[in-house]
Amino acid sequence: MNGNKTRHLKPEMQNKKVRLSRADHTFNVVVNVFMVIILIAIVLPLWSTITLSFRPIDFAGSNLDGMFLPPWDWSTAAYESLLGNNGFILAFFNSFKILVGGVFCALFLTIPMAYVLSVQSLPGRKIINMIVIIPYVFNVGMIPAYLLVKDIGLLNHLPAVFLPGAISTYNCIIMRQFFVGIPGELKESARIDGCSEMQVLFRIVLPLSKAIVMTIGLYYGVSFWNDFFNAMLYLNNSYLNPLPILLRNILIGAGVNENLEVSAFANAPINAIKAASVFMSAIPMVIAYPFIQKYFTKGTLLGSVKG
Amino acid sequence: MKEQQLAKAVENKRRRSRLSREIGRHRSIYLLALLPMIYYIIFKYVPIWNAQIAFKDFRAVQGVVGSPWIGFANFKEFFDSFFFWSLIRNTVMYSVGKLLISLPLSIILAIAIYECTRPILRKVVQTLAYLPHFLSWVIMYGILLTLLAPGDGVFNDIVKLFGGTPIDFLSNTKAFPWVVLFSDAWKEMGWSAIIFIAALMGIDVSLFEAAMVEGASSWQRVRYITLPSILPVIVTVLILKLGTILDAGFNQIFMLYSPQVYAVADIIDTWVYRQGLLEFKFGLATAVGLFKGVFGMFLVLFANWISKKATDSALF
Amino acid sequence: MKKSLRFAAVLLLAALIVAPAFAAGGAETSRQAAGTPEDPVTIELWFGAAITEAGMIPDDWVGYDIIRNELGIDLKLTMLPSSESDQDQKIQAAGAGNVLPDIFMVRRPVLVNLVNQGLVAQVDDCFEKMPNRTALIYDADAIGNATIDGHVYGFASPGAIVRNEGLLVRKDWLDNLGLDIPTTTDELMEVLRAFTFNDPDGNGKNDTYGYGAFIETDANLKGYPGSRLWPIMGAFGVEGLWCFDAPNAGLNIYKPEFFDFMVFLKNMCDEGVIDPNWLSYKKDDFRAAWKQGRFGVMYEQNAAYASQANYAPFDSIFPDGEWVIIDAITGPEGHASIGAFDMNYRIYAVSQRAADAGKLDKICELLEWMSSDEGYYLLGWGQEGINYVFDENGVPVAGDLGDAAFTGADGQVYTQLRNMVFYNSDVELSSRYPTYICEVSGKEMSALRALREMQGMKWTNAIGSSTLPTPSADVQRYYDQSLAEFLSGAKALTQENWDAFIEQFNAVGGAAWNEEGVAALEASGLIRE
Repeated sequence: MNGNKTRHLKPEMQNKKVRLSRADHTFNVVVNVFMVIILIAIVLPLWSTITLSFRPIDFAGSNLDGMFLPPWDWSTAAYESLLGNNGFILAFFNSFKILVGGVFCALFLTIPMAYVLSVQSLPGRKIINMIVIIPYVFNVGMIPAYLLVKDIGLLNHLPAVFLPGAISTYNCIIMRQFFVGIPGELKESARIDGCSEMQVLFRIVLPLSKAIVMTIGLYYGVSFWNDFFNAMLYLNNSYLNPLPILLRNILIGAGVNENLEVSAFANAPINAIKAASVFMSAIPMVIAYPFIQKYFTKGTLLGSVKG
Repeated sequence: MKEQQLAKAVENKRRRSRLSREIGRHRSIYLLALLPMIYYIIFKYVPIWNAQIAFKDFRAVQGVVGSPWIGFANFKEFFDSFFFWSLIRNTVMYSVGKLLISLPLSIILAIAIYECTRPILRKVVQTLAYLPHFLSWVIMYGILLTLLAPGDGVFNDIVKLFGGTPIDFLSNTKAFPWVVLFSDAWKEMGWSAIIFIAALMGIDVSLFEAAMVEGASSWQRVRYITLPSILPVIVTVLILKLGTILDAGFNQIFMLYSPQVYAVADIIDTWVYRQGLLEFKFGLATAVGLFKGVFGMFLVLFANWISKKATDSALF
Repeated sequence: MKKSLRFAAVLLLAALIVAPAFAAGGAETSRQAAGTPEDPVTIELWFGAAITEAGMIPDDWVGYDIIRNELGIDLKLTMLPSSESDQDQKIQAAGAGNVLPDIFMVRRPVLVNLVNQGLVAQVDDCFEKMPNRTALIYDADAIGNATIDGHVYGFASPGAIVRNEGLLVRKDWLDNLGLDIPTTTDELMEVLRAFTFNDPDGNGKNDTYGYGAFIETDANLKGYPGSRLWPIMGAFGVEGLWCFDAPNAGLNIYKPEFFDFMVFLKNMCDEGVIDPNWLSYKKDDFRAAWKQGRFGVMYEQNAAYASQANYAPFDSIFPDGEWVIIDAITGPEGHASIGAFDMNYRIYAVSQRAADAGKLDKICELLEWMSSDEGYYLLGWGQEGINYVFDENGVPVAGDLGDAAFTGADGQVYTQLRNMVFYNSDVELSSRYPTYICEVSGKEMSALRALREMQGMKWTNAIGSSTLPTPSADVQRYYDQSLAEFLSGAKALTQENWDAFIEQFNAVGGAAWNEEGVAALEASGLIRE
């Protein structure tokens, strides 16, 4: 794997470990200590949330006690009340459609836009730049956007959830910055070799930008998967509702169950259901991130320049 | 005279032909831009056109164009708010505070992951660091309450153990801003670090080899190679964040605040939410959006100009 | 060639994206349907689900066919979002786009705005078209709740039953400490101190408090610090946001007793007899806290306290624990009240578009059918024999129908529309709040019994509060923030500071709000002599 070759790219350094200077040594200690602190800071809330999601309904202690509850006392009732919901499968598939359609559209539109912005010699680049940045800064809110979605007949269609956000200017400009970072000589030499701009994009720029394309794709994916607001606003057909709406209905429903005397879904504490739903929202990320990490290897650029 | 004019005309013509040649050379790029531009016009500029309701008494039946103009009345309602300056101050305090705390922390985290010499630690942190991003603020509130509650929070239990008086972090005007800033850093640090990790992967490692030969220490390596290499990305993120400086994190504040801390917690977005939600005041919400945009636009242009002068890397 | 092909492909994709823009125009049909099973009238209904966590009614629900065959209506159901603010946003957005559904549930403040925009149809003439339903559900109060400027703009039906909250005290703690049920503010204070400092649960740890609460406010009935402190506010005669009694009619905050209440509450905070987390709790934290035995006096809703799922955790942790519902505490000047109550209504409004399309009669037909025996039981409990059976008293019960029963995981979804037909009859209440035996302690509990007990206490009538004006965000913030600062000690609670607060409150817009409210009270004849 490419990763192993480049990951530990400092063989000289490893050979010369003995010659690590004092400053280098302190550096390593500082880095490692920082990493451990961060690890604790991350694991604490995660653990607290995990244990909370398995909290049995008759649990007596505080949240803190709950973190030390042994696993054999855990209850899966919260997950059962989420997964056992009648609409869960349907909502999951709706969300999946939104995710796939959304990420495809978003990358299909964002990559060309980012590439266009990265071509420094393009006449009119400044104008295009302004066109892109103005809507980013002027976030005009719910109603103007709603009127648009209504006017183009998207109301009550799944694409209404992802099309308004199919280019996030933030993501687009970040991607452009990475494209700009690719050495100009590479692109120039390709052009001299007679490559068209399309070919430059597909043969030179994209292969060198796997990490950022994946990352931006992930950002989009996560935002579409978890979009609640657009779905709530634009979808009237309740059979189209995606997962975040279902989760919210379960959460809020369980929260107001004071009026609901007998609920088939009241076997888990409301806070456990909230915690369990967190992990639902992280599903695409947890699945995709390990794959994407494979592209997070040092010196990807170097290899290609030499190769 | 004539010769001069002639020369000018020739020059113009040459320039124009150079321009048209340049445009011609890039025509496939314009073609690439076509679809995204159409997208921008429909999905980003039509809403901006609809945003004229900020200057109108919006009547749903008459529609955007048919509603009567009312000038700046919506803006005035916002500016005339008794708490206007308090809202601005709080909003700027939180967004600047987050830039100063969350952003550096996420850069440091990315560099630490990059530089870490223990593979297992690195792998574990890199795989878990983004996860707190998915904890909603509802869940975060529960965690904060566990840690910080005045009655039985972990923090205050420790304080009491040492004989101190418990601090009501979540309902105390002195402590609350710090809770907001650090809980945001805590939750988002790993998520925002991903972009910097991606940037770090692009560094030409031969530079490090050269530095080794020169005998540079690790600190120097970070200072003179790593940081400058990802500086363009940092600057980009910074400028983009400045563009939305008047968005201070509605969801977080809305979940954490309570009347005790309104004085230091109420931000523009929470005010608009409370003021406009029930009242069909879409003109007001849109007007505030435009106001924030003007402010953000100014900052973006300014930051871009500074960055062009100082680091030679800029958005446009 | 290759290039032009590529160009064509790009254009095609562009066209795909733009296409819906042109398709939009042709979608609407103006043809009037006959309203027969073969040519049904389409009626879009946005409803508030009874059990949001159970999910949407399945699309093969038998009700769709019945409604089509019997009424000639093709019913299109949309479940509104579960939280009120989401509902408000969705409905207002649809209003802004002039695409409101034919009939939809809406809160009164939103309804008022929609009416001002001319988006909602008048339904004054509809009630005589549905005599059965009107007799059951739409009494004068209900019609008044949907009346704006002299016209009726919706169908208001009773929501949650009123006076369903009460003041609860841990009886077992009182017994452990040899105390009596408190009846005056002084006695209450004694009990709170004892609960805080005398280890009422005998666990040897100093981990209990007297009073438990959280901030639960709204803009027209529950002013800061909210309904959870009503029993104490009631002892000072300042429960509820508005006072309906002449000559003090207006905001309660203007009464001198409000200051006395603040002093009392501040004292509770300073002595530490109120759970110090009360300012940070949200509803769920508060509910988790009483189940963990943190405090011994609270104000809670009947089902949240006594229904099986809610009481079970408390029962398993404290099998010997016992809450009793007590009557209002009497204050120094003889005031006593559990709290202020207003009727809770759910309003279903008809859009002007639907009326223009001539659908109003069909909508009335649908509503009247809902209140027929067939509609009532179908929407309330499902299908007899599948989702419910009648017991010997004629009350629908789950019997041994298992998951398909109206209380089961699969059957529950079929009762999502029940709030459109329920009117809090005895049959409904005994079906909704069955008596049960606690699993651990073996106690017999019933949320209905708790409800009846709570309703029998001293309450203050504030019916009509929901029709009073709401303050602007600034006034609201100034009100809440200042009171909170007095309680936290950021501002010293002295008469001088209080007067200064009232003065500034008036200047910010409080005086105008009060005048507007008094005028509204007078206009609707709500002021009591």
